[in-house]
Amino acid sequence: MIEFHLDARSGVAPYRQLIHQVRQALRLGMLREGDQLPKVKDVVAGLAINPNTVLKAYRELEYEGLVAARPGVGTFVTGTLNGGPLTAHGPLRRDLQRWLAKARRAGLDDESIEALFASTFRSASEEDIA
Amino acid sequence: MIWLTWRQFRVQAVTAAAALAAFAILLAATGPHLASLYATSKITSCHGFGCEPAANAFFGRLAGLDTVVYLLGIGLILVTPAIIGIFWGAPLIARELETRTFNLAWTQSITRTQWLAVKLALTGLVAMAVTEALSLIYAWWADPISNAISLGVGSPQLFSQGRFSAVIFATHGITPLGYAVFAFTLATAVGAVTRRILPAMAITLAIFAAVQLAMPLWIRPHLAPPSHTTAGIASADLAYGTLTADVVPGHPEAWILSSHALNSAGQPVTTIPAACNNPSADGQKGGTSPTTPAQCMQSRGYREAISYLPTSRYWPLQWIETGIFMALALALAWFSFWRLSRRRA
Amino acid sequence: MSAVIETSELGKRYRRKWALTDCTLSVPAGHVVGLVGPNGAGKTTLLNLAVGLLRPDAGTIKVLDGTPAAGQAQLARVGFLAQDAPVYAGLSVADHLKLGARLNPAWDVKLAYRRVDRLDLDHGQKAGALSGGQRAQLALTLAVAKRPDLLVLDEPVASLDPLARREFLQDLMEAVAEQELSVVLSSHLVADLERVCDYLIVLVGSRVRVAGPVDELLATHHLLSGPRRDPDTLPDGLDVISASHTDVQTTLLARTSGPVLDPAWTISEVGLEDLVLAYMSQAAGRRRRDNHHHLEVQK
Repeated sequence: MIEFHLDARSGVAPYRQLIHQVRQALRLGMLREGDQLPKVKDVVAGLAINPNTVLKAYRELEYEGLVAARPGVGTFVTGTLNGGPLTAHGPLRRDLQRWLAKARRAGLDDESIEALFASTFRSASEEDIA
Repeated sequence: MIWLTWRQFRVQAVTAAAALAAFAILLAATGPHLASLYATSKITSCHGFGCEPAANAFFGRLAGLDTVVYLLGIGLILVTPAIIGIFWGAPLIARELETRTFNLAWTQSITRTQWLAVKLALTGLVAMAVTEALSLIYAWWADPISNAISLGVGSPQLFSQGRFSAVIFATHGITPLGYAVFAFTLATAVGAVTRRILPAMAITLAIFAAVQLAMPLWIRPHLAPPSHTTAGIASADLAYGTLTADVVPGHPEAWILSSHALNSAGQPVTTIPAACNNPSADGQKGGTSPTTPAQCMQSRGYREAISYLPTSRYWPLQWIETGIFMALALALAWFSFWRLSRRRA
Repeated sequence: MSAVIETSELGKRYRRKWALTDCTLSVPAGHVVGLVGPNGAGKTTLLNLAVGLLRPDAGTIKVLDGTPAAGQAQLARVGFLAQDAPVYAGLSVADHLKLGARLNPAWDVKLAYRRVDRLDLDHGQKAGALSGGQRAQLALTLAVAKRPDLLVLDEPVASLDPLARREFLQDLMEAVAEQELSVVLSSHLVADLERVCDYLIVLVGSRVRVAGPVDELLATHHLLSGPRRDPDTLPDGLDVISASHTDVQTTLLARTSGPVLDPAWTISEVGLEDLVLAYMSQAAGRRRRDNHHHLEVQK
């Protein structure tokens, strides 16, 4: 069972953070098909947030086809994200590790590597949209 | 709610029970001695004019402890209504307001009216029971003395207080019950107004004391229709140089409400006539002339007109007075309900 | 029933001063409603009216379609936790639970004991010896175990340390999720309410300034900043709550009924705290203007 956390100062609405964490868990393989999401009452008991917030997040996940609510039992994972869990992408991960090694040999420090990746990613996304 | 009332009232109830038990033990220890004194006195076999000296003799044989207990009992019954009132009644509503626990008590699933009704009824019943128990055990113990007093009023000052005297009337019979209920509901009502316990206690005490003073002085004399009689002017009538009667012939424990002398023509007079002011002058003439101012007036046809309550009116008077206090108590209780229901924080 | 609390021009007066004026609300069920405002704004008065501890001097109030404190049934449906969680100092924890059981027909004894045991409260301990946080939790247990439909709490966490505060809100939210309770809680700090409330009522100076779902309020209020403007030349469709001007810049917090098309304005989102502060300062400004006007008239 995964556990949620909340960053009250991130500026991101709480329900969005919950959705993000579920998707992240799916990607990392921490949540698999058939797993149960934490019960609403347990989530609010841990985070001290409004139950409607959790319900809203779960509803949106259900709308996206990732989970399904079984009344009286709980909410369960039914679908997968596009591209499947990250563990299924061995070759992509190895390519990335090779690139990282190259970037270090070129003398880039951690922040530069992150900045390079972020700017390339953004411009690539914009090209896709355009 | 019954459980909660009891739980909040526990300490006071136990204290009262303990005090009552202690006094009962004292009475049980001294009662038999007093009863045997009475049984062996000449009162049981006296009749007519022999009873007064028999009673006086009985009083003379009382031990110091008996007198102390007699007075203690009267004192206890005098103060018990006031104590019950201020310690049981004042905090009833005021404590909930002072400690803000009304926020808890009045948001459970019972209405304020139900809450107060149970508290008033239960505590009021215990107040009545305690007072009545005290009154009864004391009446049982003091029975010999009460009987003796009714025979020979006028002997040692302490035991000349007959049943109609202010102190005795207020501590015997059923009047203590009325006072207790009145003091209790008065304190509760005052507490609802002051919202603080200590001011409620002080104000209740003041009002209660004022009522207890006013009742025998100004109200009780008018509660029952008096009987009227005329009697001869006895020497006792001329005590302090006034012409009021001290005793009603044939009614030893009667309560004299008013009296004045009448001349032979039936007109009221307030002073001793000049002719009777110098008894020695008359006496010197010798013969069968009267020697005291009283006998002098008697021979000139002066009589004493007395307005009084005979002992047969004792119980009606008790019921009437108790009824008055009960009615006051009911009005005060109603006021408390009304005050609570229109509460404005 | 869709509204837990319905008021119409509700007012309450203490001697000559009105603690609550012209209060018209329709608070929907199924929400955790935050009542926020400065001290003395009338929050406690409104909550006391809702649970029947006070009677209105003007207007009407209906709670769960019934008159507050009108009878046993109405009282059973509303749970109340007053400021500073008053309890009977001389009664033990177990005594308090017995009080709840005896005075409430719908009392859930298992729930009550489960909560008390989870909180590690000693059954025999006198309530007067409990800490502030424990007292609040005991009072919450009493309010929740009677299985009400509506829970009303007056500044429940104001005097609690941060840990006790967090634990209290955790417990409260768990109860809301379990029992599908509607809750109205008041605070003079927005931070306390932000996490848990999804409906907000702002009460300042005895009047309701704004009320609505938090999502809607955040979506319709924005911060607009741009070059210095004359207050009279503001675009239409803007309900300005607060404004501040420097020599070169104007910043507005406004309620927008539609999109703002003027490109001179930079629009950004507003946090709940800033929104509430804006309404509080608006109320203060109005009062100052009224006083000022009053003084001028007196001249």
